[in-house]
Formats: sequence, C-alpha cells, structure tokens
Amino acid sequence: MAINVGYFIKESVTSFRRNWVMSLGAVITIYLSLLLVGLSMVTGYLVSEVVKSVEDKVSIQIFLKDGAATADVEALQGWLLRDELVEAVNYVSKEQALERFKEEMAGSPEIIDSMRENPLPASLDVTLNDPRTVQEMVERIKAQELFVQVCDRPDDPEQSLKYGQQIVDRLFAFTRIVRLVGVVFVAMLASVSLIFINNTIRLAIYARRKEIGIMRLVGASNSFIRAPFLLEGVLQSLLGAGIAILTIVAIQAAVLPRLQEALPFLPVDVSTAAMLQLSAVLLGAGILIGLLGSGFALRRYLKV
Amino acid sequence: MITMRKVGKTYGTDKPALHDVDVDIEQGEFVFLVGHSGSGKSTFIRLLQRELLPSRGQIVVAGQDIVKLKNWKVPYLRRNIGCVFQDFKLLPNKTSYENVAFALEVIGRSKHVIRTQVPEVLRLVGLEDKMESYPDELSGGEQQRVSIARAFVNRPPILLADEPTGNLDPATSLGIMSLFNRINKTGTTVLVATHDREMVDSMRKRVIALENGYVVRDQHRGVYGYGD
Repeated sequence: MAINVGYFIKESVTSFRRNWVMSLGAVITIYLSLLLVGLSMVTGYLVSEVVKSVEDKVSIQIFLKDGAATADVEALQGWLLRDELVEAVNYVSKEQALERFKEEMAGSPEIIDSMRENPLPASLDVTLNDPRTVQEMVERIKAQELFVQVCDRPDDPEQSLKYGQQIVDRLFAFTRIVRLVGVVFVAMLASVSLIFINNTIRLAIYARRKEIGIMRLVGASNSFIRAPFLLEGVLQSLLGAGIAILTIVAIQAAVLPRLQEALPFLPVDVSTAAMLQLSAVLLGAGILIGLLGSGFALRRYLKV
Repeated sequence: MITMRKVGKTYGTDKPALHDVDVDIEQGEFVFLVGHSGSGKSTFIRLLQRELLPSRGQIVVAGQDIVKLKNWKVPYLRRNIGCVFQDFKLLPNKTSYENVAFALEVIGRSKHVIRTQVPEVLRLVGLEDKMESYPDELSGGEQQRVSIARAFVNRPPILLADEPTGNLDPATSLGIMSLFNRINKTGTTVLVATHDREMVDSMRKRVIALENGYVVRDQHRGVYGYGD
C-alpha cells in the first residue's frame, strides 16, 4: 500500500500535535535515556583507548640496590635479553633517574631543593614484545636468583618491581563500574520511556476511537489501523534519538579538546567511525523503544 | 447469502441471548428482524458482522464460514457487509463527502475511485447538494442518509441496519426505508433490525421475529406481530 505512506505520516503528525504535552514527555525521556547510553558508550570508548595506550607503554622496571655488583647486573641484563618475551632492556643509572625526576618535577622546584642526596635507585627498564605477558614475565623475574641478589629490597623482592599491570587492572575495574552504573540507569530510563510512549499512544488511540470504530466497520485491515500509531511511537523516539546524537556531538566538540589539553599524555579523541557507529546504535535503540512502546499499547488498548 | 445453523450465544453465565437459531437469507432478499429490546436483535446483527463469535452453531456469510474465519481475514469479510446504526456514527470533523470517502480511503481505494464513487452514491441517497456540509449542519434523516451512503459506497452484497430509524420521526423514517428498498432493488441483500411497527407493516417484506432469544416467527410478506 505504497499510496498510503503519506496518509500514515499525516495521521501520526496530527496525533503528535493533538497530544503534544504527552508526546514531548515521551520525546524527552527517550532523549535522556539515549543520551545516557551514548555518553556511557563514549566514556567506555575513551577508557579503552587509554587502556590501549597505557598497554603500549607497559614496561617492567627492576630497581637495583646501591652498589650492586656490575657483573651481576650485566648477567641479569644478559639473561633478560635471552628471554623470548623481552624486546629490549635499558639500564638507567642513579644519575639518569635523578635527571628524569627533575624534569618531571620541574613544576615544583622546592621538592628538588629539599633533596640533599640522590635517593633514587638505578634500574633496568624491560620492554616486552606483548604487553599482555607482563604478569608472566614478572613471575619469571621473581624466580631468578640474580634478581634477588641485585634488587633494591632483598627482604621483599616484589617491592623492587614496578609494572603497569596495576594501572591496567584499575582502569578495567573503573570501566566495569561505569558500564554497570550505565546499564542500570539506562534500563530504568528505557522502562520509563516505554511507559511514556505506551501512555501517549493510549491517549492517541482514545482520541481517535470513533475513527477506529468506523475503520473496523468498513473493513480497514488491522495493519492499516495500527500503522499510524506504530509510526507515531517511532517518530517520537527517532526525534529523541536525533537530539541525543546532536547533544553528544556538541559535547564532544566542546569538552574533548579541553580534556585533551588537561591530559596531554592521554589520547582523548573519538574517531568519526566510532561516532557513526554510536549514532547508528542510538537510532536503532530509538526505533526499538518506539516500536515496543507503541506495540504494547496497541496490544492492550486497540482491539481489532 | 446468510445461513445460520443451530446458532446459540451465551454471555458469561447468564441465560442465553440466542437459542438454536436457524435462518437462511437468499441473495437479494429484504428482511426485517423484529422483537422487543433484549430479544436478541443486536446480538443477531453483531454475530453477522463477526463482532461476536457464537457459543454454538455455524454461520456462513457471503460464502464464508465466519466462525472458522481467521482474525486477520475479518476486515475483508466486513468489506462485504455495509452497516448502518441508530446513532449514524459519522465523524463530526468531516463533511458528508469526506465521511463517505473515508470508508474508501481506509480500505486502500485509489483517489480516482473515490472521486467518482463518492458523488455517485451521495446522489443516490439524495444528498448531492449537501456534500460539503458537516454532520451538525444536517438533519437526523440527512445524517442517516450519509451513513447509508458510507455503508453502500463500496457496493457490498449485504447491508445490515440496526434500528436505523430509531432516532427519526415517522415521515423521515419512511424516506430512509424507501432508500433501503431502492438499494435492495440493485440486488443487495438488506437486513433491517427494528421495532418500528408501522414501517414493517407498511412494507410487507419478510419478517423474522425474535423473542427471548428464540426465532418465534419467520414469515414472508409479514407484519410486525400481533397484539404486543
């Protein structure tokens, strides 16, 4: 019934205007829930990008005690280089460590001034071929006798190792919480939007009950009677989804550059492809909510 | 055209509204369905429209067993049955023309069909001058003519009328009945439920009388009844 598309759209828009307070309520709740979905998706995306970049930088630092025998250190270095997990080993002397520290702390000279002697240990920086093998490599190092001999804290060798696993774990825990909270909120808001759409469509059915009665009387097919109401629900949620997408784009344009400024060492950026994917998800979710909400209303209130 | 076999209808646990109804109505017949309020007239009509399903028995309308008819096919059955009611059921925000056209629009008829058939049927019911009038600008009789035009515009083989003159004065009722008669002359089967005694007696058509859910009389060239 291609000729009737115009009729359906006209009917839906008329009904939307006749009932604009409820319709607006439905649009706003859908907008809010989809906005939250979108924001938690963006956050998740950013965090996983950060995790990736941190993983790239993951290395294991082995702190050496002052006055460790050069032969032992070189032997440990040689042993590390022979390991197939290791990409490179870099020796950092006490002086180099202090230089680095001074560079990093250039903003607060009082700390540097307060240091009377060099408290920093020398270290071996181990870069790995694959960041996911950090934990495995740490275990191997701990089992190595040479390491215990030269390490900074022979009483507790664990303390002489510093590696990114903790950071990565913490980031993942954070993402998990963000996701969980997001899912709970989104589920709540989605049910509210469903109820709202359900109600608007119920009112729309009520407002048009005479016409519906006559349509049934003269033999309009069930799908013909239902289509305008389904379309109305979908229009409402598409409107909500559209505004949500625009808001997220605006937020991205306004907030991300400042975030990037504040965190120059992290890659804070959302690619166009990711944005397109996000928009598609939001539109899809909107259509789904609209269809479900008006579908429920039709099943309950429209007997054909 | 209409066949009912051993049809019974019970609402809830109450006593039955219809009992063992056996009726055959041939194509092109004009039939009055008479009886007091509560005798089962409306149930009879609503069973034929498949607004209701019978508790027992078989109903065949326009060649289809409507008890076994699938739900999604019901609209197509209803396109074969024009319906007229006591309260006209017109849409107040549409003109006569639009009210009639609506019936064709919603079953997907083309604009061309609508533009030719609607004026034609409005002429048939004698409302060619009132096409652009809204229902509240029309008299009761004129409104009922619009509703008959709407029921007949799709040229259904069956026309059902439930108390079509219940809200109208005798003179106007006469005009409505002669309109039904004209429609019947085109070969349409017409079934009119009424308790308008004068009308039934003057028309001398087939009369089916219902009482407490039973068919108590089925008489050709009949009258309303005796003494009641």
